Parts: sequence; structure tokens; C-alpha cells
Amino acid sequence: MLKLENIDFSYGDVKILKKIDFHLKENEFIGIIGPNGSGKSTLLKNISKLLNPDNGFIYLDKNLLNDYSYKELAKKMAVVPQDTKVKFNFSVYDLIMMGRNPYQDRWGRITTEDKRKVNEAMELTDTKKFKNKSIQNLSGGERQRVIIARAIVQEPELLLLDEPTASLDINYQRNIFDLISDLNERLDMSVLAVSHDLNLISQYCDRLILLNDGKIYSMGKVDDVITKENISEVYNTDVDIKYNPITERPYVIIVPRKKGSTKNIKSDFKVHLICGGGTGKNIMNILKDLKVNVTCGVLNRGDSDWEEAKRLNFDIVEIPPFAPIDKEAMTKNEKKIKNSDLIIVSGTPFGWGNLDNIKVLNNFKNKDIIFIDDNLDKRDFTDGEFTQILSEIEENNKVYEINNDKELCKFLNTKYEEILYD
Amino acid sequence: MFDKLNYLHKIILIIVTLLLVAVISLSFGSLNLSPLRVMKVLFSPSDTSQSLNVIIKQIRLPRIILSFLVGAGLSIAGVVFQGVIRNPMVDPYIVGISAGAGTGVTLAIVLNLQFSFLFFNTLPLMAFIGSLITVYIVYNLAKTKDKVPVVTFLLAGVAVGFVLNALMSFLMVIGTRDLQKIVYWLLGSLSTASWSDIRLMLPYFLIGNVIIIFFLKDLNLILLGERSAQHLGVDVEKSKKYLIIGASLVTASVVSVSGSIGFIGLIVPHIARLLVGPDHKKLYPTAAILGGIFLIISDDLARIVLSPMEVPVGIITALTGGPYFIYLLRKTKKEIW
Repeated sequence: MLKLENIDFSYGDVKILKKIDFHLKENEFIGIIGPNGSGKSTLLKNISKLLNPDNGFIYLDKNLLNDYSYKELAKKMAVVPQDTKVKFNFSVYDLIMMGRNPYQDRWGRITTEDKRKVNEAMELTDTKKFKNKSIQNLSGGERQRVIIARAIVQEPELLLLDEPTASLDINYQRNIFDLISDLNERLDMSVLAVSHDLNLISQYCDRLILLNDGKIYSMGKVDDVITKENISEVYNTDVDIKYNPITERPYVIIVPRKKGSTKNIKSDFKVHLICGGGTGKNIMNILKDLKVNVTCGVLNRGDSDWEEAKRLNFDIVEIPPFAPIDKEAMTKNEKKIKNSDLIIVSGTPFGWGNLDNIKVLNNFKNKDIIFIDDNLDKRDFTDGEFTQILSEIEENNKVYEINNDKELCKFLNTKYEEILYD
Repeated sequence: MFDKLNYLHKIILIIVTLLLVAVISLSFGSLNLSPLRVMKVLFSPSDTSQSLNVIIKQIRLPRIILSFLVGAGLSIAGVVFQGVIRNPMVDPYIVGISAGAGTGVTLAIVLNLQFSFLFFNTLPLMAFIGSLITVYIVYNLAKTKDKVPVVTFLLAGVAVGFVLNALMSFLMVIGTRDLQKIVYWLLGSLSTASWSDIRLMLPYFLIGNVIIIFFLKDLNLILLGERSAQHLGVDVEKSKKYLIIGASLVTASVVSVSGSIGFIGLIVPHIARLLVGPDHKKLYPTAAILGGIFLIISDDLARIVLSPMEVPVGIITALTGGPYFIYLLRKTKKEIW
């Protein structure tokens, strides 16, 4: 769809873009991120033919960008600029109709096709209700939708967006990105969007390009680009990476400078986690932050908790997908439990396949055990045997029941303060 | 009330006003006639005296038609320049084009270059050459890389305008025998209007307008900003170039017959925009007709105020246009621009 080869661009003597090279595939959604002055907007201007690169080639559908007339280009590529303010009293309808310009003749005669497309776009963007209003009387979010509608009626194959949600409230931010995502999926538009909002764009795009100082610092799947190392380095600030439990996409959180006495975390505290089916993800991240040693067992390969534990480099006792827990795994698992200072059991359901994970706890005495989300009736798929085992465990060990992940965090910090911190 | 009418009704109302103003204006003068009499002379000339026929058809009618064309032309040029530069404070005078046209005309008078070839007279041709050279200089002075920013365009226009005015003064000094002719022309007047003036300017006027109409749709998109226009498929630099050439032709045609009449190109586009909105397909005809009406009335005043003496109409337009502009700015809370 769009291919950039070794693009250099400079304003005067200042080099803004250096050897930019990437390929946007058909129907792909790529986000461009990077700190202020990293060249994001300049890159977009080069791609939209507002600026001409000093060196290198830009191809749109195998043809050089410069071989397209402005009119042909407007049929293939639509741009939603950063500043969408309109100085004139055009009505919303007239403004959207301007998107049909590349399809109209010299005299701007409006065809029924034009009217149909404008109507469709207004429905898609939910702008019909103010079609006769002046564009100047709309809110920022409404205006942005109108400008996107104007881009839609251009029937482009590629949609370029420069900070489409800058200065919008979060409800609008979501609204706009949902819309863009829809255009990408339903109307098969390829999308290239610049955003300074790492977390927002990461939830939507297929791939990310991280620009730094005019160069591509990192490019690839969101998980590979939004890493603690990349973001901390490029933005020169302390961040941490979490995962959005719903989209399973990473998001960046800022770590404020600590005030007063700083706590040093000891790293010899060992926690064994019993989980499965994604119920342990948040717990794992909490434990990771506390920098304790974590072991997990026994997990089936491919399980989403297994994936997360793998990602976090935890010590896992693993078995093949859907396989029952075998003797060998159990022995390994028992060893890990024996060495641990604390055992945490997530709110995962228990059936005959994973019952041994909990049964094994009966071999121990006086262990600290935390049970999360203790809604036993709904999680017992063993005709009561699981519940039976639990009560036996409770007799021989120190058991704590905790409602959710947030409480767990608090609990660990208070109960183990002396152990966790120097 | 006017706001509630649709565009068609508005334009009909404006045309009716034009016709009324024209007929009333025809009846004014050293010999006052009733409008009815005027109509009679126009439509059944055989019933009226020879002298009345001459007064109406050879003296007053060409003057009114020329007033209309000059007023319309200045307004059209104003609309185009304000749109292209996206700045309300622009008219042919401010960007130096009138000065360029004036220099061309002055040069033609001083060097005695006035002659005709087919329909094309050298006076407007010199005005056009003068204005085009000026635009070319201003445009290139203002150009940075491959864009023409508004601010530098205005500054360059003002600066070049100063230089050209000085040049005109210089030409007047060395061409003393034509001094009176030039000065009178510079003040802006329609008192010598004749059918030959109309024949002289009309070809340039029409060609200029054809070019403008051809690029009128692009002007709407350019209003959104040059980048947005380009993204919507407009070859902005090309459209701008042709629009400016068209507006220069119209300005030159007008300036060559009327001299320097200010304020119309600045104020009429504003009024028209208030009436019909920013869409140039509506704005262009509205501003043209309103500009015509405005100059016909101004010229009537020029004839009447110190009758039988005539005041240069440029003084009237500046005196009436200025305060009206200020009144408009104060009155309308909504943004004109």
C-alpha cells in the first residue's frame, strides 16, 4: 500500500528525518509515536505530499507519490490534520461535501452519488444531526468527526491522521479511535496515525513505529515496541509497562520520582503462584513490581497465565497443552512450594485436571497461603472435593482470604513490609 | 429578515435593486428627468428628442454601465484576493496591484503609447502588464521555499506599492505636460466615461472573469487552508497563480479606465459574505452586483454633492465606505471572517 525507502528530510540545515524506511500493508493500522520533535508530523507531511523528501522514495501502490496529481492522490489518500478549526461559516453538510471535490468536475456539480456518499459518511460518523449547523458552532469532538466524515467521502484507501485526539476528552478519544478502528476493519482503509498518546494508540493499532530524533527507533508489534526499555530510553523518563486486561495490550504508566525515604526491595522473598486461565495475570504483575521471586505451577503451555508468566520470566512448572498433571511435574512443583515463603492461589476454577495443584498443599504445614476471590461454589467443578481439600488446608496452614488484586497489593505491603523492604 | 431568505431570493432582490438604482441614476444630472421619461428614452427612442437621446444613451448610460463594471471588477478582485490570501484586510490596492496597473498606465500616458489593436487597447494592456509584473515581484519576494505565506505577501505588497507610487510621482514630474491628466486619473473618476472606455476595458475584464470562474470552486477549498485544500485534491499553487492572474486582469481593466478608486474591493466582499456566506459560488455574483450598485450610487453622489462641479468618485467611496465598514464591524457580533 505505502512504502517508504530511505527518506531524508531537513528544514534548512536541520535534519528532521533520517533514513526512514517502512512498509504499510494493505488494511493495516500503524501508529507512529515518539517524543516532541522526533519528526512524527514531518513524516506525515512527507507522506501526504505537503513536503518533498530530500532523499529517498515514497511509493503508493507501487507508483511514486510524486507521479500522482493532487486530484488522483486525494482519491487514494485522505488526511485528517491536527488542527481542524475552520475559519469560515460553512455548514457541516457543505464541509463534508468538499471531500467529494476530487470526484467533481470544474464547476463542482453535485451528483446523486455525491449526496449518497455524504449521507453514508454522516451516518457512520453520527454527524447527521447537526448537518445544517455551522462548523464553527461545534465542539472539538464533533468537529473532529465532521473532518473524519469529509475524509471518508474521499473514499480513500489510506487514511492519515495527525494527532486525531489531541485536546479531546477521554470519551471523545475513545469515540474517535473506535471510529477509526471501524473504518480500518469495515471499510478496509489502511490507517497511519500519529499520536503522542502512547496508551491510546497502543490499544488500537496493528503495528507501532517509535520515532526518536528523526529515526525509527523501534518498529513492530505493539508488545515489542512498548517496552520499558524502549520507552524509558526514548522519552528519557521512568516508566513501567502494564497490560490492559481487556485488550491484552501494553500500556505505559509513569513512575513518579519517589519522595522521602526510598524503600529498597529485598529480592530473596519467594512466592509460589497457583493460577490458570488468565486469573493470575494481574497478580503476576503485582509480584513483578515487588521484585519478589515467583514460581508458577503447574501450568499448561499455551494457557494465558502461562504466556504472561513466560513474558515476565517467571520460573514455571509446565506441562503440554490440555495434558493432565503428571508425576514428574508434581515432584518439581512440590519442590518449588517447599522453598516458597508464601503461596498465592488465584480465583481460577478447579476441576479434575488441575485439582492436584491444590491437593499438593496438604503435604505442607504452617505455610502462609492467600486465596483470592473466594467464591468457592462457582469455582468447584469436582463435586465438592475441592472444597473439602480447602478446609483441610485451612486447618494446617495460615490462610488469608482476599477479595481482589488491589487488596492483595495492600495486604502484601503491610504484612510483609519488614520482609519485603530493608 | 434578509437572513431568512434563500440564496435565489436574495440574488433576485439584489438584481432588482441594481435595476432600480440604474434607472434612478439615469434620471440624475444637470438635466433632471423622471425615471418614467428615462424608460421611454431607452425603450421607445423615436418619441423623444435627439438631445435627450444623446444625454441618456451617449453620456449617462455608458457612465452607469462603466460604473457597474468598475465596481463589480474591484469587488471581484477583492473577493479573489481575500480568498487566496485568506485575509480580510486584502484588496487589489493593498497587495500593490493597483499601483502596478497605475504605473503601467502612467507610463503609457507619459510615453504616449496609447493605441488600439483589434479589441485590445494598449492602456489596459499596459495596466495589466504593470499589475502582472507587480504581482510577480510581490509573489516571489514573499515566496519561501515553495509556499507563499500570507504575512510576507502582505508586507511585500505594501513595500512594492510604496516603490511604485514613488515611481509614478517621478514619471509625473518628468512628464509635466501630462501632469493634469495623470493626477485626475489617479484620483479616480468616471466623469469621462464613454462607450469607447467600455470597449477598451471589456475584453480584459471578461477574460479575467472567465479565468476566475474556472477556478472558483478551488477558492472554497483554499479557504480551509492550503494544506487541507491540497489534501482534497486541489493543486493549490497552480490555482492560486491563475486566480491571481485573473484578478490582476480584472483590476487592470478597471484601473485603466477609472483610475484609483479605493475601498470597494475591501468592503463589498465583506458585505456580500455577511449576506450569502463564504461559498464563492454565491459570493462571487453577489459581490460583483453589490460592487456595481455601490459604485453607481457613489458616482451619483460624486455628480450631485457639489453640482455642477464633480468630485472624484474615489473620494466618495473612501468617505462612505470607511464609516460603513467601521459600523459593520461594531454591529455584527458574529465573525465576518
